[in-house]
Amino acid sequence: MSECECLRFTDKNFKQKVLECDLPVFVDFWGSWCPPCKMVEPIMDELAKHFDGKVIVGKLNVDQNQATRSMLNISGAPTFILFKNGKALAKIIGARSKKQLLDFIETALNPQSSKTSKKTVSKEPERS
Amino acid sequence: MHNTKYTCWNCPAIDLAGKVDFRACGQSVKQFDKTLDSSQETHIMAECKRRPELGLYDPTAITFQECPQWQETPYGYILKDMRVMILGIDGYLGWTLALWLASLGCKVSGVDNYNRRNWVKERGAHTIVPITRMNERLRAAKDVLGININFRQIDIYTQRQRLKEFIEEVKPESIVHYAEFASAPFSMIDVEHAIETQKNNVLGTLALLFTMRDTVPESSLLKLGTMGEYGTPLTGRPLFEGIFPAEAVLQWNDREWSLGGELTPRDPVSFYHVSKVQDTFNVYEACKYWWLRSFDIMQGVIFGVHTDQVAADPRLRTRLDIDEWFGTIINRFVAQAVIGIPLTLYGLGKQIRGFIALRDAMECMTRLICAPPEPGQYAVVNQISGIHSARQLAYTVAKVGKEHFNLPVQIQRVENPRVEADEHPFEALYEKLPKRYGFEPKVNIEEEISRMFELFLTPEVKKRIEERKQVIMPKTWWSGVKKEVERLELLDLKGEIEEDERVRMFKVHG
Repeated sequence: MSECECLRFTDKNFKQKVLECDLPVFVDFWGSWCPPCKMVEPIMDELAKHFDGKVIVGKLNVDQNQATRSMLNISGAPTFILFKNGKALAKIIGARSKKQLLDFIETALNPQSSKTSKKTVSKEPERS
Repeated sequence: MHNTKYTCWNCPAIDLAGKVDFRACGQSVKQFDKTLDSSQETHIMAECKRRPELGLYDPTAITFQECPQWQETPYGYILKDMRVMILGIDGYLGWTLALWLASLGCKVSGVDNYNRRNWVKERGAHTIVPITRMNERLRAAKDVLGININFRQIDIYTQRQRLKEFIEEVKPESIVHYAEFASAPFSMIDVEHAIETQKNNVLGTLALLFTMRDTVPESSLLKLGTMGEYGTPLTGRPLFEGIFPAEAVLQWNDREWSLGGELTPRDPVSFYHVSKVQDTFNVYEACKYWWLRSFDIMQGVIFGVHTDQVAADPRLRTRLDIDEWFGTIINRFVAQAVIGIPLTLYGLGKQIRGFIALRDAMECMTRLICAPPEPGQYAVVNQISGIHSARQLAYTVAKVGKEHFNLPVQIQRVENPRVEADEHPFEALYEKLPKRYGFEPKVNIEEEISRMFELFLTPEVKKRIEERKQVIMPKTWWSGVKKEVERLELLDLKGEIEEDERVRMFKVHG
């Protein structure tokens, strides 16, 4: 496993580091058997740098942390969820480019002022 | 060290049996276990086959640097006495790697069915560097290098049960799969040779994958692919390392999607290359279904004769073929130069490929053995150290032959018996080995060509080239025509090559 800039969440710290966090938290739910997840890895590190101090960026391995996977009803990988005040604000499934993920996060946080084309990002309501 | 921070999660000594949940991207988990206890740090608990005293523990808790079983080498941390099995151990690469790894302290085992020896013989060719029977090779390895190699004669496709038993006995922690035919022209001779190539390669690999699932699913597989799987797209689109990065975006009808994680397009150029493409899919699927971990190694065209181990004694040399079927371009050029046959360029001779020297390929393989992929991970590397055109290589061989060995080397263009672009753009990415695994090429191409001249000019090797000079010129046409290729022209390449290099050569991320 390579060193990463983004945080690594686990079942044990998920409540404290994600749900109870004062800042918005963007989480990549990933598996090591998932090629799209591996290709998104470097982007997560770039997003962590990009949002430094504004949005916490991290990842959670869905096989090593099955309780969180189960609680959030994660059905595919990669799944990206943006949390704010303990609630899932927005969720997408499947690999995205850096620009698409940036747009996704900014649209979710600032729905009024977004310049994002709706065609490039699909947003799903949180299911759980 | 490139693998300092790796953990037991990557280690083939881990035992994940019964503790994983095989799924694909996008596949729902049908039965959620709502009773899982979220107070635990992790729900995957593993056991270590090498350190059973650890009991059940979190596989991400111990790094290679911290684990006493992983020991430092120049190529990264490696498991102490790591058990590596080489399939195709009698071949050009297999034998060289066996000596290299055993000298590094690995416990090397290997299998071979001697197909390469038999098929080269069937074509009326032979290895120009003489090699002895396997028993004598093994004895020489013991006498000269003090290493023991555990060898069995096994065909991995037809003798699957024997392979399974051998794997169960050895329990390899890494399996290097070199047991494939590596010849485009051989696969194009006729239907029998096409079938034999695809049967050996595709079905042999498929059999191996099932055997690994049933015996050593945590072992790391290093499967030799080829850069030839990608072809040479005329758009000049980069040849990514097997899988699209997430930044590669497909745009269509004002919409866009990330291609991240999808296999890049393949455009094989012979039925042999098709077999390698099929292998790619079989390995990819096996990783997905059974959480096997694999490197698919897209190796460029290999050349050279030297590693410290094979050069230690004449009895330890690895085979070297120069015939139209099994001789790779640089090896063949040097042999031609030694016996006065003008070096043969096919068609325009402006084909561009990635290359790597034998010694550097061995280092790359070692670094990858040191860095097993994660469970279920299908990883791909482009294993090349430089990009050259056929003309540029012919010129380099001619120059070394003239300047250092006083040989009057000529270059000729002949009809191209293949169906391929002989003038095309080429941009191959080869970032992972240098950036993630710490590889820096050590072999200078002109120095290695010099070494080859020295070896080929020894009386015994030169005699063996002379004896088989009739199998150098191509007679295998992709069209099925049966005739020898005709010369189109003799070339004076000097001025042209310099232009060629300036305008067309580009080395990307070397």
